[in-house]
Amino acid sequence: MTPRLRAVTWLVWAVAAAACIEMAPSPVYVALVIAIAALVVEVHALDTPLARAFPLLVAAGVTFGLVRIGLALLTSHGSGHVLATLPQATLPRVLGGFTVGGTIEAAVLLRASADSLAIVGIMAAFGAFNAVVSHNELVQAAPRAFYEPGLVLTVSLAFVPTTVAAIGAVREADRARTGNHVVRRGRLLRMTVPILETGMERAVALAESMDARGLARIPPGSSASAAGWVALLALVALGAAFVALVGRSSPVALGLAITGALALAVAVALAARGTGHARYRRQRLSGLDWAVIAWLVATPIALGLAGARGDDSLVWAAESLRFPSFHLLPAALLLGLAVPAFIRPSADGDTP
Amino acid sequence: MTALSALSYADVGFAYPAGEPVLAGVDLDVPAGDLLLVVGRSGSGKSTLLRCANGLVPHASGGRFRGEVTAFGRSVRLHRPRDLADVVGFVHQDPEAQFVVDRVEHDIAFALENLGLPEREMRRRVEEALDALGIAHLRHRSPATLSGGERQRGAIAGAIAAGPAALVLDEPTSQLDPQGAEDVLAAVARLNADLGTTVLIAEHRLERVASMAHHAVLVDGGVVGLPGDPATVIADYPGAPPVTRLARLLGLTPLPLTVRDARRLIASAGSSIPLLAPGLVAGATNPGARTQGEVLVRAEGLSAAYGPTRVLHKVDVTLAEGEVVVLLGRNGSGKTTLLRILAGLLEPAAGTVDRRGRVAYVPQDPNSLLFSPTVRREVAETLRLLGRRNDGAVDEWLGRLGLGGLAGRHPRSLSAGERQRVAIAAVAVGGAEVLLLDEPTRGMDAGSRLALERAVTDHAAGGGAVILATHDIELAARCATTAIVLGDGDVVAEGPARQVLSESLFAPQVLRALPPFLTVEEVAAFLSARSTVSTQDPS
Repeated sequence: MTPRLRAVTWLVWAVAAAACIEMAPSPVYVALVIAIAALVVEVHALDTPLARAFPLLVAAGVTFGLVRIGLALLTSHGSGHVLATLPQATLPRVLGGFTVGGTIEAAVLLRASADSLAIVGIMAAFGAFNAVVSHNELVQAAPRAFYEPGLVLTVSLAFVPTTVAAIGAVREADRARTGNHVVRRGRLLRMTVPILETGMERAVALAESMDARGLARIPPGSSASAAGWVALLALVALGAAFVALVGRSSPVALGLAITGALALAVAVALAARGTGHARYRRQRLSGLDWAVIAWLVATPIALGLAGARGDDSLVWAAESLRFPSFHLLPAALLLGLAVPAFIRPSADGDTP
Repeated sequence: MTALSALSYADVGFAYPAGEPVLAGVDLDVPAGDLLLVVGRSGSGKSTLLRCANGLVPHASGGRFRGEVTAFGRSVRLHRPRDLADVVGFVHQDPEAQFVVDRVEHDIAFALENLGLPEREMRRRVEEALDALGIAHLRHRSPATLSGGERQRGAIAGAIAAGPAALVLDEPTSQLDPQGAEDVLAAVARLNADLGTTVLIAEHRLERVASMAHHAVLVDGGVVGLPGDPATVIADYPGAPPVTRLARLLGLTPLPLTVRDARRLIASAGSSIPLLAPGLVAGATNPGARTQGEVLVRAEGLSAAYGPTRVLHKVDVTLAEGEVVVLLGRNGSGKTTLLRILAGLLEPAAGTVDRRGRVAYVPQDPNSLLFSPTVRREVAETLRLLGRRNDGAVDEWLGRLGLGGLAGRHPRSLSAGERQRVAIAAVAVGGAEVLLLDEPTRGMDAGSRLALERAVTDHAAGGGAVILATHDIELAARCATTAIVLGDGDVVAEGPARQVLSESLFAPQVLRALPPFLTVEEVAAFLSARSTVSTQDPS
């Protein structure tokens, strides 16, 4: 099957879905987004090793959400309906000085659950994205300045399925060796060494295969290497901006972010100027892609406008055990996210 | 170097630092358009010979290199493998380790992108490479979802996309099942015949490739013999096709490489072959009669499924002392699943397994087992895990599998066939009565195969039992007492090995050329028995 929508379009879809969750974090709407993500996976999942990303990321989201609920119940305290009372302890000042345990209120539980569901929703959107795109296509769509990191990503993705299979085989071989007599001592070593050694052998063989197929035959031009350095600078600046943001140092963060963005633009421009390699079947965005992208970008904006105009159903107050309210307009807007799911892959006779 | 020479080696020597020479003074000319078969034991230096062709030796290997190799006039000393990518394509034995990109067509385009070809040109060449290998229908697939043969054809497409005039293949079929191997070799023959691509190919299984080759060379201890007619060159090689060895035993010439030629030869020789005299044939051999010992494993009504796919359906297996059961059937017919159930690694969906002896299983991939620094410690490790002392069993199994000389080597430095034998020794040393071997001859050269056969026969004769899941019909003919053929999860044939193999369309070569004999060894035994009888007769 040939996907009709490009990887970039799906990237926009995932970002739009996450933005919608931010705009409308009420559990009913988040549940709707998760359902749409599941539908997308159902219709569009590929046969790549990362096709299993959806359940994995959703499971990761659920786990994270449960931990978050647990922590919130133990540490946040408000007023209202009390569900249970636990023994409580107040931590020493060095550790924050807050109280662990004590009363567990319904409102805290509800709010933490709603927050966790939003996390699951965002994970579901990105899980679905990973399951339906060809990462290779995404790498190809990246600007030329990122060819080398892209290649590293491509090669490591190619190693995922064989490594997963190797883990299973090694476990079984270890049991089979002793006729099902399980020896736990030293098992980690017995299992790790074969996996690493097989991986090393494969990596060497792959390196030779890449060499024999002319990798790096044409030395990079001056603009390409300049682009590489500027791209590195951009990434460092953006990373530092994130750290500054976490450290609540907004002016520094802003400055770094602007530097990073500018450097990134310079890198892309430099790389485009160089005489880089042509790419095989580089996928260009079609009119359909542009239309879908425009539609997807409009969805969270429309939701935001609806919120600004006073739609109170988007955010759930979670003060009492009241079912979150549900309005038709936001739901209809969210259903717009499902549009790509209905653009079916075109069957061209090579379905596996 | 002659004008038409594609690859030429002049006094090439190679050795790893502080190692024995791997190649010692090789002179070889491969004419353009030739399909040259390289034959030799594991470790004979044939891999190194091939890797010189595109400069992987010495550029990727290091070591001491002397002499000169030229590929279409370019010296490999001065050109790195990447600089030769447009004249020499290279494919090696592990089909899993050659894919860079997880889409078949993009992987094929990898070399073209590296050569900096324009987009339109790339598109055309990828289409052509897909067609040349007959894999256009797989273009959008991920290599992880392909069978071994399909993957290897994809790898060849990736190697020829850049339009090299020579293709070098290092045991391209050794990890494949017979069907996959057939497909790959047929594709290589087509490239050679239709496009005139020069092919340099190393192989262990000669049944198919020998008849395809124009010339063959034998590599032994780093010395490369003179290229010659394939049948003549491989006549004395232990891995020669059984019909070739049969004709040699019977003194018939010219030596055949295929069953068709052998039949023709035997028919024309007619009554000059003593075996064909009427009356002699009846009761010629009878190894099918086996001594039934105590039952070690009895499995009844085994069924298994992966999701909706039925893998085994009501399979019964009985294994008695002294038996060597061979499990035949195409890939995916349930052989491995059956072995895993018998070994207790997998619970059957239905049915029971009654094990009266200990059962040990050697997986298909020996690499999943090997982790010790030496072969001896690898084998001793099993005893240590079982909490037993090294009571000479280690040496016994090292000896049985012909590993005595390799005991101090690192398992990972060995060839695929040698690794397989180490894995078998490491599992068998535990003293299990029942050994289950999954595709043990994969990647083995003739020497390794003989050692394995001996070990299997000895183990069974010593009161054990062995089940071999294999595609290797000649191995089955030489050491099996019972044969079971699986097809789509059902037992489609079962009985004494001789009977099952004789009735099969894919019977061993000797049987098809000279029935009722299954193997060259049987014919030889019969001839020597007859000659003793006839010399005793007059007196």
